[in-house]
Amino acid sequence: MNFLAASIESLGAKIVRVLTVGYGLLAFLTEALSALLDRNTWNRATFNVVVKQVYFTAVQILPVFLTYVLVISWLMITIILTTARDFGLGQFASEMTIRVLVLELLPFLTALYIALRSGSAINTEIALMRVNNELDALAHCKVPPMPFEFLPRLISGVISVVALASLACLIAVMLGYLAIYGLNTSGFEYYTRTISKILDFKIMAGLFFKCALFGLAVTLIPITAGLETPKKLFMVPVSVLRGMMKVFFAIMVIEVVSLALKYI
Amino acid sequence: MNTFHFKVGLFTLATFLLGTAFLAYLLYARGYFENTYRLQLAAATADGVVPGVPLVFSGIEIGHVTSLGLNENGGIVIQVELPERHAKWLKQDSIYTLDKPLIGSVKISVDSGDLVGAALPENSTMLLLTPDINKEIPVLIAQVKAILANVEHLTRKESDVNATLANLKTVTGRMTGEYGMLEGVLGSPQNARAVTESLDKTRALMTKLDTLTAKTDQWLFARDGLADSTRESLAQVRLMLDDAQSSLKKADALMTNAVAISADVKAGTQDIAALRAEIDDAVRKANALVNEINKLWPFARDPEVKLP
Repeated sequence: MNFLAASIESLGAKIVRVLTVGYGLLAFLTEALSALLDRNTWNRATFNVVVKQVYFTAVQILPVFLTYVLVISWLMITIILTTARDFGLGQFASEMTIRVLVLELLPFLTALYIALRSGSAINTEIALMRVNNELDALAHCKVPPMPFEFLPRLISGVISVVALASLACLIAVMLGYLAIYGLNTSGFEYYTRTISKILDFKIMAGLFFKCALFGLAVTLIPITAGLETPKKLFMVPVSVLRGMMKVFFAIMVIEVVSLALKYI
Repeated sequence: MNTFHFKVGLFTLATFLLGTAFLAYLLYARGYFENTYRLQLAAATADGVVPGVPLVFSGIEIGHVTSLGLNENGGIVIQVELPERHAKWLKQDSIYTLDKPLIGSVKISVDSGDLVGAALPENSTMLLLTPDINKEIPVLIAQVKAILANVEHLTRKESDVNATLANLKTVTGRMTGEYGMLEGVLGSPQNARAVTESLDKTRALMTKLDTLTAKTDQWLFARDGLADSTRESLAQVRLMLDDAQSSLKKADALMTNAVAISADVKAGTQDIAALRAEIDDAVRKANALVNEINKLWPFARDPEVKLP
C-alpha cells in the first residue's frame, strides 16, 4: 500500500515539475512578448545587443556552417539519387531531395547547430549571471534584464535560425539541380515545376513558422533554464545539462508536430 | 567604419536578397507572372480526381486540376488550369483520358493527334474519357480461367497428349531393343530379324554367284571351252542375275522406307548406316559381276544396279 502511494506521489511530483517548467516558459514568453510590444524597448542599446547577438549566433559561424551544409546536402542528394535510380524511380529524385532536405533535414540540423553552439553558451552565461548576482545588480541599477539581455537573444535566435536555414535550403536546392542535371539548363523547367508543386504557400508559411519556433526554442529554453539555477556555482553545469536536454526535447516535439500537421 | 555592423548588415542583406529572389522564383514557378488558361472537362465519374492531379501531354506535365464539382444537371465538371504558353498543345480534336495506373498517381493525359489543327478556345468544355482498369480485370481473369481449363483438359490422364506420349514411349522402348531403329520401325524383333536374315541370304547368294561366274569363266575360256554351245547356259545365268537384281531391288525399297522413317529420328541412323554398307557391298559385287560378263558378252542393255 505504501509502495503504491509512493509511486503515485512520485508520478504527481513529476507532472507538477513538468507543468512548472511549462508554466515558467509560458510566463517568460508572455513577458518577452509584452516587452516586445512596449515602446520603451525599442531603443538604440537594445538594437545594438540584437546586432551583436546576430553576429555571434549567425555571422561568426557562417563559413563553417555553409561548408557543413554543402557536405551533408551533397551526401544526402547522392544517396537519394543513387537509390532512386537503382529502383528505377529517377523521376522522383528531385521531389524526394526537396522534401527531405529543404522541408525537414536542413531546418532541423540548423536548429541543432545553433542549440549546440549558442544555446549552451546562453544557458551558461545566464546561469553564471544569476549565481554571481549580476542580474539583481542590473535590476538595482534600473536596467531591467528583459529588454537588454533576454529579448535581444530571443530575437537574434529567431533571425539566425530563419536566415541560416533559408541559406542552407537555397544551397540544397541548387546542389540538387546540379547533381541531377549538371551544368546545363535542360532540366530547369521540370525542376521548377517540381519545386512549384511542393512549395505552395501553406508549406512555405509552415516552413517559416517552424524555423521561427526552432529559433525561439534554442534561445528561450536556455534562458529560462539559466534563470532557474540555484545560487550555487556547482549548479551551473547541472543547469546547462538540464537546459540542453529540454532544448533537444523541444526541437523533437516541434519536428514531430510539424510532420504530423503536414502529412496527417 | 564599424566592421562588426558591416558584417551583420551584409549577412542580413544577402540572406534577405537571396530569400526574396527565391520567393520571386517560386512565384514564377507557380505561374504568377503568366496568364492562366482555363479548361473544363466533363466526366462520367470523378473517381480518383482531386485538385492537383496533373494534366500530362506526351509524359510532360503542363497543367493541373484546380477544382471539381457538379453542374446543375448532375454532371461532373473538372476545372483545369495551365500556363498560357502550354495552351498551344491543346487542339479541338484532342482526346483527354483519365489515366489510373495500378501503381502510381492518377493523371489526365492529352492526346493531340494533329498538332497543326485548330487551337482550342479558352474555357471550352471537353469530354474526359475514363477507362477503368479495375473493370477490365474481371474480363481478363475470365479469359485466363478459360485458358487454364484448356490446359487442364490437355493434360488430364486419358488425354490425347498423354496417349501420344505413351505411343512414343513404346516406339522408343522398341528402339532400345536388339535391332534398334529397324525394330522401332517394323514393330517387333521378329520382323527386324526377318529383314536382316534376308540380307544375309542376299550376301550368300552373291558369294555363290561369284563362284558360279568363276566356274562359267573357266568353262567358257578354258582351252577346251564350250563357248559356242553354252549360249543357253548363259541365258540361264542372265536369268539368275535378273533374280539377284530383283531381290536387291526389294532390299532397296525396304531401305528407302527405312531411310524415310529415320529422317525424323536421327539417333537410329547408326543401324541403318551399317545395313546400307552391307547392301552397298552386295550391289557393288553384283555390278562388278555384270560388268565382267558384259565385257565377255556384249548384251544390249544397261546392266547397272542403282541404289537410292
